[in-house]
Amino acid sequence: MTHRPVLLAPTAAVGADLDAWLQNGGAEGLRHALAAPERIIPALAHAGLRGMGGAGFPTHRKWSSVAGQSAGDKYVLCNGNEDEPGTFKDRHLLSASPHQVIEGALIAAVAVDANHVLLYVNPHQHEALKSTRSAIEQWRASGLLAPIERRLGLRLALDVVESSGRYIGGEETAVIATIEGGFPFPRRKPPYPAESGVHGRPTLINNVETLANVTHILRHGADWYRALGIGGACGTKLYSLSGDVLEPGLFELPMGTSLRELVFTHGGGMLGPLAFKAVFTGGPSNTLLTADDLDVALDFDAVAQRGSRLGTGAMIVISAGTSIVRKVAEYVDFFAAGSCGQCTPCKTGTYQLSRLLRRIDTGVGVQADLRALESLCALLPGSGRCGLVDGAVTVVRSSMQQFREEYEHQLIG
Amino acid sequence: MQTSQVRITVNGCVIDTEPTRSILEAMIDAGETLIDGVGCMGQGVCGSCRVLVRRQGESEVLSALACETRACEGLQVAFLDHLPMHRHHVYAMDDWNGDSWRILERINATFPEAQHCRHCGGCDSACPKHLQVHKGVMLAAAGDLSAAECFDECIMCDLCTIACPELISPNHLGLYVRRLSTAIGFRPADLVLRLHQIERGEMVIDQDVASTQP
Repeated sequence: MTHRPVLLAPTAAVGADLDAWLQNGGAEGLRHALAAPERIIPALAHAGLRGMGGAGFPTHRKWSSVAGQSAGDKYVLCNGNEDEPGTFKDRHLLSASPHQVIEGALIAAVAVDANHVLLYVNPHQHEALKSTRSAIEQWRASGLLAPIERRLGLRLALDVVESSGRYIGGEETAVIATIEGGFPFPRRKPPYPAESGVHGRPTLINNVETLANVTHILRHGADWYRALGIGGACGTKLYSLSGDVLEPGLFELPMGTSLRELVFTHGGGMLGPLAFKAVFTGGPSNTLLTADDLDVALDFDAVAQRGSRLGTGAMIVISAGTSIVRKVAEYVDFFAAGSCGQCTPCKTGTYQLSRLLRRIDTGVGVQADLRALESLCALLPGSGRCGLVDGAVTVVRSSMQQFREEYEHQLIG
Repeated sequence: MQTSQVRITVNGCVIDTEPTRSILEAMIDAGETLIDGVGCMGQGVCGSCRVLVRRQGESEVLSALACETRACEGLQVAFLDHLPMHRHHVYAMDDWNGDSWRILERINATFPEAQHCRHCGGCDSACPKHLQVHKGVMLAAAGDLSAAECFDECIMCDLCTIACPELISPNHLGLYVRRLSTAIGFRPADLVLRLHQIERGEMVIDQDVASTQP
């Protein structure tokens, strides 16, 4: 099936050059938004747009919740922290085509009456940061913000904020803490950011890819966007394909493309003669899909039916001969290092998971270690302020369900 | 009297026990082998049986000592390995001649992270001995050696270190100020007396007496 990319279209890849963006239909979505602000949120609802940062939460519900809050200071934050292993879509969007993201964030400001629009970018991604800075300067100088300010009756603050560059800094309440000038420590929810976010004001936080999609939905209409998907799914999705495939890379495919098509058609199949073994979906914090799941449609609902989550669209493929235990241990190490340390069970639990996995992986594990691992997986979920510890448990638990014999094979007694 | 049975899970093993028994006792009753994570066998002084516990129907996971936590229905327990120190604090006690003008300077140089306390109270709630850990950290960070009293009964179980989001090790800070305060203060009179007695040969043990043999 042929498809035309939207976010990765050559006409969008204009870098930080605003004039080139405007010549290729830029600001059209914003004009439509300003012409009928009350129709923005219904359009997103009809388009079926969902959060592309991992959760897949319906975007329009977040937006209407913020729009419904009393007037005054409101914030729109574009979350470009992107730091989990295997995801490399937001940095590409911000460096190659930041204008579609900024325009999406401005449309959000129109929809929810926000007077602060902040792009939160990971400073480790130099290109993305440079390009976003330059793009923001051009928007400020362009006069395109004036109609938004007239509608608001307030000055619109459009700016870039550097994140801490830490994984935990991408958690939405940690984003808020960073914007306020603190350390990226997540906070307990509720209250949700929509009610009480930056400095206690209503705050809308969306992922880079989500906001980029908004621009195109407003420009071309919700029906057009719906039609891009396959089956019941809507729109397109950026898949970060990596691991043991011949041609890893960033692919924009219709939402609902099968895993088989992604790996074997777009990714060029497996690297070398080894067979496909499994794929870590949505980065390291989700469940694994195995060879039995190759025909699963990669959209939020179909993947969820398989007990997994699409997450950020990261697909890390591993081939036969790769140790599941070692892979999982590596990911759990990542969580153990990334835990902010506020919640004891997360700080020590991820570390303890890592110890047990390392013990099994290095061939000194015993049956009791495996039992202890399972027991921790039952004990830890839901014990943290944020979902970090849950993510670590999910990947361990899923790998133990699907590759239990591999774990048992590694034990010495 | 027959007490009711409760079922707990320790490191994945299901154990039926009585609610009067501690987690550690329940494990021993059940014949579980203890290789590590145990030292004083239930006296509450070695601080090595660190566990994470979750009570039935609760989402909160707490840290505790297995020897001091009673079994209750549906309790889930996971033992924790020793926690590697985030950083090692290297200091000498014999090179400063008790110059008390330099106390704050020395504490800051050895434990600079103590200044970062966020006053979250995590250490206080984690302490199985209910010590005033946070107060001790505050006093120590201000150069006040009365902090040593806060840590008098510390068993070095590391649960406060585990709880601290700022990577302060309150127990190690406490040990340091205890050492400082001893180095700078008066020696205990009874200890001095006993040392004299040993030097004068008054405390020699007669190895031939039967009761001295192991």
